[in-house]
Amino acid sequence: MTKDLIDNTLPALEATNLTKKYEDGVLALDKVSFSVNRGEIFVMLGGNGAGKTTAINIFLNFIEPTSGEAKINGIVSHREPLRAKQHIAFVSENVMLYPNFTALQNLDFFARLGGKQDLTRDELQAVLLRVGLQEEVHHKRLKGFSKGMRQKCGIAIAIVKDASAILLDEPTSGLDPKAGRDFVELLKTLRDENKAILMSTHDIFRAREIADTVAIMDRGKIIMQQAAGELAGKDLENLYMQYMAGSNNHTTNTTGGVNAGHNS
Amino acid sequence: MLPTLINKELKAVILSPKFTGTFIVCTILILLSIYAGLTEYKESVRRYDAASQLVSQELQHQTTWARLHTKAYRAPDPMQIFVSGLEYDIGRWSPVSSQSTAKLKNSVYSDDSIYALFRVVDFTFIVQFVLTLFAILFTYNAVCGEREDGTLRLVFSSPVSRAQYLIAKCAGAWLGLVVPISIPILLGMLLVLLSGVPITADHWLRIGLLTGISLLLFTFFIVLGVFISLLTRRTSLSLMVALVVWVLFALIIPRAGVMFAGNMVDVPSVAEIEGQINGYSKDRWEEFYLGMEDRFAKMHGSEGEGIEMSEEKMWELMQAEDSLRKFVTEEINRYDLRLREDLRQRKNRQEKLALTLARLSPASSYQIGAMSLAGTSLDVKTRYEESINEYRNQFVKYADQMQAETGDLAGRMISMEVSDSSSNFTMSSSRDKKALDLSGLPRFDPPRVGLADAMAPAVTDFGILAIYIILTFMGAFIAFLRYDLR
Repeated sequence: MTKDLIDNTLPALEATNLTKKYEDGVLALDKVSFSVNRGEIFVMLGGNGAGKTTAINIFLNFIEPTSGEAKINGIVSHREPLRAKQHIAFVSENVMLYPNFTALQNLDFFARLGGKQDLTRDELQAVLLRVGLQEEVHHKRLKGFSKGMRQKCGIAIAIVKDASAILLDEPTSGLDPKAGRDFVELLKTLRDENKAILMSTHDIFRAREIADTVAIMDRGKIIMQQAAGELAGKDLENLYMQYMAGSNNHTTNTTGGVNAGHNS
Repeated sequence: MLPTLINKELKAVILSPKFTGTFIVCTILILLSIYAGLTEYKESVRRYDAASQLVSQELQHQTTWARLHTKAYRAPDPMQIFVSGLEYDIGRWSPVSSQSTAKLKNSVYSDDSIYALFRVVDFTFIVQFVLTLFAILFTYNAVCGEREDGTLRLVFSSPVSRAQYLIAKCAGAWLGLVVPISIPILLGMLLVLLSGVPITADHWLRIGLLTGISLLLFTFFIVLGVFISLLTRRTSLSLMVALVVWVLFALIIPRAGVMFAGNMVDVPSVAEIEGQINGYSKDRWEEFYLGMEDRFAKMHGSEGEGIEMSEEKMWELMQAEDSLRKFVTEEINRYDLRLREDLRQRKNRQEKLALTLARLSPASSYQIGAMSLAGTSLDVKTRYEESINEYRNQFVKYADQMQAETGDLAGRMISMEVSDSSSNFTMSSSRDKKALDLSGLPRFDPPRVGLADAMAPAVTDFGILAIYIILTFMGAFIAFLRYDLR
């Protein structure tokens, strides 16, 4: 499969009035709009059920939006999912790979799925080394890997696919501090390589540390969105608590966030 | 993309701990089944040769054309090594005489009931019950397992279509499991080849087709396993559903179909039919013997009281009685044939219904197709009995002809004493000890099943299995389109 040429003038990831109402009536996303440019880390911050994972699932076409669009390099994900997925990589909260395959075999398989058919073993190993997996584990089966090692494999897959956008669903959840720190450093280098990164988390400190833009979500809406520059000097934890309290009290907060002020 | 996915599935099957176990079990079972079939075939050939010799010896000891009788034996066929079918259920020989129509008697199971207790484990048994179970056990978690493990989301975050993924799941498992089956099958063929069994080109073609239909059944259960894995979200539930479906297809539906057909079409038992025939035969012969006395008395009376019957009259009476006896025999045979034909037609109807219902299960369809290919299916009995009846007609015709030519009257010796005062006509039952010249006697040639004969009924089952595979795959595809990948 040949990759489409990317129109660099378009945002790598773009959600426009993204709405998802499940069959049981739950409104998981309510007209959410945002965009993530290349070289930007966009962090969705929020509690369980805020709609972060739903948004990512729509980008991945695991679910279709009720209305609105999720675009990847201008391609609407639910209309042309196969084309859209050529440009994304995904790292879940708990990266699960094939336990009977070695790290190298897993990486090779997912690289091929991502259209990288001709990578040599050395190239694959170089990626594993880059994410911090030492050579002695490259040929070990995944069944003995810790969560941190599996997350590293996950990010290695994202790197090897060379996708322009990377979606991460709470990727540092449950990692020990060092592993979390290493992971964040890796994301920063990927941002420097002009990747657009959309990450969901409920880790405020991690968000503050890494984000170029932070969006606080609650009950399917973005209730606050600020660039890192705007957040400078502010206590994000306090801000988060204030917004959440405000959202719970159905108060309107308009601090420049996309869709801010929409009651949930 | 598809080769990458298939390659991964193939690797996943080969690297799974189940694979080694499956390979070992398949190898042992397939080789053992072929070895057991081979041993049994050789034993059948030995029994057949001994029986044929005995038949020749018995014929040579017979002294009268009128009561000439013999036996026709079923010949063993190398295909029974792979598909025993009804080989051991159907009688091995039938009497051949003017007195009775063909009826196969003394099956292996009726003679040695212990074998009937657990039946024969042949190649088709291994395919039908063991390989299908393996197919299900390798695929019941094909998709729901990946969802549970969390790999499904990662795979579908890449540009992979659901159709490609589904095809890869089926093809990968198929390829991964065909290897452990093919190797012992090939070794088994080698064993047959080295054992000196007379396998003709026709047999090889049939073995090839048997392998083909076995692979079709195997494919069905692989696709079925994948389909089931798409109907549930939990592997534990999927395993339970898969096992229940397997039990239904492999064990319940075939038996239920036969039982249902048995209740729907009333077929008298062979004992009932034989009872009717015996009753009719008894009545006819009683009538004949009573009439014989009358006829003798009438004939004797026409000569005048106290006057001995002339030899011409006596000869005339003997000839008339003989033709009347033949007429009675023919009538009884006609009645016998009519009842048996009625029984055959009823049985045919019952069998057709039973087979149609049983074919709701692909496992039964496979079994029926495999037996047709091997020539050990239900029609083996009909085929043999028809062939023996044809032989019987030739046999009886020849014996009658020879009887007429030699003047042999059922082994009775006619002697006449002539003196001046009276002539005595006596009939003795002492036998003529002279052996018969059997050089012109027709020999029974067992009916052979050609490739075309074997293939014709099996085509239906090939078609049915192909349709089942296509339908199941379509069902799986539709289920996958609705499957929540999260």
